[in-house]
Amino acid sequence: MAEFTGYRRENGRIGIRNHVAIVPTSVTASPIADQIAADAGRPARATPHQMGTSQPEAAREQTERTLVGTGRNPNVGAALIVELGIEDVDAEALADRIARSGKPVETLSIRDAGGTRAAVDAGVAAATDLVAGVRDARQESADVSELVLAVECGGSDATSGIAANPAVGVACDRLVEAGGTVCFSETPEFIGAEHILAERCVRNETRERLLKRVETRENAAKLMNVDMRGAQPTPGNQKGGLTTIEEKSLGAISKGGTTPVRGIVDYAEDLPVGDGLVVMDTPGYDIESVTGKVAGGAQIAVFTTGRGSTTGNPIAPVLKVTGNPKIWDKMADNMDVNASTVIEGEPISAVGVRTYETLRDVADGELTAAEQHHLEEYAINELQPNELVDLRGTV
Amino acid sequence: MNGRVIDEVAIMMSETDNVATVIDDLTEGRGLTVGDLVAVDNETITLAEDVPFGHKIALTHIAAGEPVYKYGEVIGEASSRIEPGEWVHTHNCESRRGRGDIRTEDGG
Amino acid sequence: MTGDYPTGVEGEDADGTRQEFMFEGYERPGGSVGVRDRVLVLPSVICSHVVADRIADCIEDAVSTPHDHGCAQIGSDHEQTERTLLNVARNPNIAGTLVIGLGCEHVQSNDVATRLDELGQTARELSIQDVGGTDSAIDQGLSSVRNLRQETGSGSRLAGPDELTLGVTCTDLTDETVERAAPLVGKLADKVAAAEGRVVAAGIEPLITHPEAAYDAVTAEATETLDVLLARHEGMPAKARTVERAARDRSFAAATRAWGEGPIQEILDYGEVARHDEGLAVIDSPSQFVEAATALVAAGAQAIIHLTDEGIPTGHPVTPVVKISGNAATCEALSDDIDVDATAVSAAEFEAQIAEILAGEQSRAEKHGVTDFGITRIGPSM
Repeated sequence: MAEFTGYRRENGRIGIRNHVAIVPTSVTASPIADQIAADAGRPARATPHQMGTSQPEAAREQTERTLVGTGRNPNVGAALIVELGIEDVDAEALADRIARSGKPVETLSIRDAGGTRAAVDAGVAAATDLVAGVRDARQESADVSELVLAVECGGSDATSGIAANPAVGVACDRLVEAGGTVCFSETPEFIGAEHILAERCVRNETRERLLKRVETRENAAKLMNVDMRGAQPTPGNQKGGLTTIEEKSLGAISKGGTTPVRGIVDYAEDLPVGDGLVVMDTPGYDIESVTGKVAGGAQIAVFTTGRGSTTGNPIAPVLKVTGNPKIWDKMADNMDVNASTVIEGEPISAVGVRTYETLRDVADGELTAAEQHHLEEYAINELQPNELVDLRGTV
Repeated sequence: MNGRVIDEVAIMMSETDNVATVIDDLTEGRGLTVGDLVAVDNETITLAEDVPFGHKIALTHIAAGEPVYKYGEVIGEASSRIEPGEWVHTHNCESRRGRGDIRTEDGG
Repeated sequence: MTGDYPTGVEGEDADGTRQEFMFEGYERPGGSVGVRDRVLVLPSVICSHVVADRIADCIEDAVSTPHDHGCAQIGSDHEQTERTLLNVARNPNIAGTLVIGLGCEHVQSNDVATRLDELGQTARELSIQDVGGTDSAIDQGLSSVRNLRQETGSGSRLAGPDELTLGVTCTDLTDETVERAAPLVGKLADKVAAAEGRVVAAGIEPLITHPEAAYDAVTAEATETLDVLLARHEGMPAKARTVERAARDRSFAAATRAWGEGPIQEILDYGEVARHDEGLAVIDSPSQFVEAATALVAAGAQAIIHLTDEGIPTGHPVTPVVKISGNAATCEALSDDIDVDATAVSAAEFEAQIAEILAGEQSRAEKHGVTDFGITRIGPSM
């Protein structure tokens, strides 16, 4: 089945959830946004973060782009932007940018509301109204080609590269074949096999940008006196069977499937719809990485884990796939797809098909384990001072 | 990537690979039927030593300096001659540091 | 700041201060005294924060410190996070700690718990992956925290200002802050220092914008740490840009008025515990509230004074935060969030209010209960 029922938004995009996003402009407004969402009830989802009220321009732009992208995500039916009132990141400006996608967006200033408790009360009232409003969101049948799938791996172990990742890769190939977009990221994980990935880029420009981004991330680590290439695979990885960085990296890359790489985008930059396999340049840090892809417009995420990651995202459902039979058993409540059957002989392609079908079911409304447990993490990648220094010399 | 499971105990990630990853703890002497999967003298290979879950075994002879293939790509090169059925890991397989054909002096 | 010891607050005045700031506190192993008695549920990584929050929400006087870190960090950045988490758990307001990890992260929960144990703290740990998932973790965590609560029923005793570590942070340097709020806080800081207590200030913008004056303000022993601090920030864009610009525009004395006269006995790395016996220390932290407050808590502050013109209302889970504003409009607009209107209060009234907070009276932030926790990053995510 190539269809699911989703929420058709004003700008023509299809969402697979119908949230009211409570978006704080800064770290100061974040705990209040959290409180508003907690008190307003489940369709309200907060996206708290630690970005400062005073960031250097490039870092602030990245924060804003991520917050705007999060609000614009098709899974969001309406948004409430919460600010203290004096931050550099202005609630009205964010609201305007989000509202261009056609959805209702309100703003709330803690200062104007008269303080913390008053702001929580006003926020809950506003959120409740927005929740009532999104109930009328238009639901209709949509094709899987309208899906943008974020792919992530975290808490990897020996099973990741031989079971979970290749299986998810099969699912990705299927979605690309059906006309959808697949986005994988975690640039540091390409180190060791970046030349192989680069060969799969359809355009020279993409190839060059990819290699440049890998180099930049490697250099960022060098500034911290860490040799990423030399430190991989880690002693733990080696004990688990990984011999070289190439092997580890290829195992990670396999989760994106085998189709050509059609483009590379910046952290939280808009992802194209219906455009095949795309790379987003993000750190390997899972929470920031998933946040970036969801801000780019991914409505759904699949996350492979050997050791048992339990994380989710407030805006997009995150499907957990594990190739580790012990984790499938022990952490059944936090996992969605069992890829450890590969070890018992189930063909990877069959597991891939199962994963694809589960993705479609989740798009259609089935809750992931993380959603059932209300497990959500959100973090915005912040460009650090030494990264900014390096950026000045690069494109 | 369509992995091929060999005798239920090892998985070959791509047809052109010369190693397989074991998916069970295997003991020395264990035989594997590889048939026409790879170019070997016999249809079976025998484990030369114990190899634990997640680790690799050679499916063919690999001469010193020759590439080790997994996922259809070069993951490193043999630092000494490897026989079919031998454990392949950091003691006999070294990284090319992921820089294509640039070799490192210290062996990765 | 002259670099000399303050005069005139000796003898009878010092006795008066001692009297004023006596407080009934909770005694901890090791002898420190807390002004609150909380059990800490400490997530060692971002991925365990929901479990930590759920557990703390269910138990009175249990608090959690959710944050975005513990994963994908390297080198000094990783060390800073680990050091900070450890030292937050050692704050005198904490009776005992349950450390919660996921299992695959770099900052391992059992390492943190073991280290706390070695340092004489009461600590337990659990790892979500080990216990079989988030549901089990919450169940076991609730049990652990209840046990901790019983185990750490603390003795209380009377303590004086010589056992007080007072945290101070200015998240702006506007006229309202510098002219109205800072003098009150600086005077209090001097009193505490004269009574052999400790004052710790978080926010190094004045030091990096006025290096010469900074060298005059530190003791001989602290000179080297000032060298290290200045070298570390050389050529780097400051994290709290607005404060840095404001500090540059002012004199060193004005920018540091809230710290008292000093001199600066030591300069702490972010997340370190204060080691000096008495007087003023400064932490290498940006003047950003959540990060500065967390650094102060890690340093050992039992209470924090936050000077804020615009009225950032957030509290901190571990330590009472007292908000003081020199902006009358802010005080009116945010009357439920600001403790002290610096334009309308005398030094004596201010000090009496602080004494009450130490004695157990809730600050505004404790009343509204909205808190935040965060650690300064000094390296890129991997």
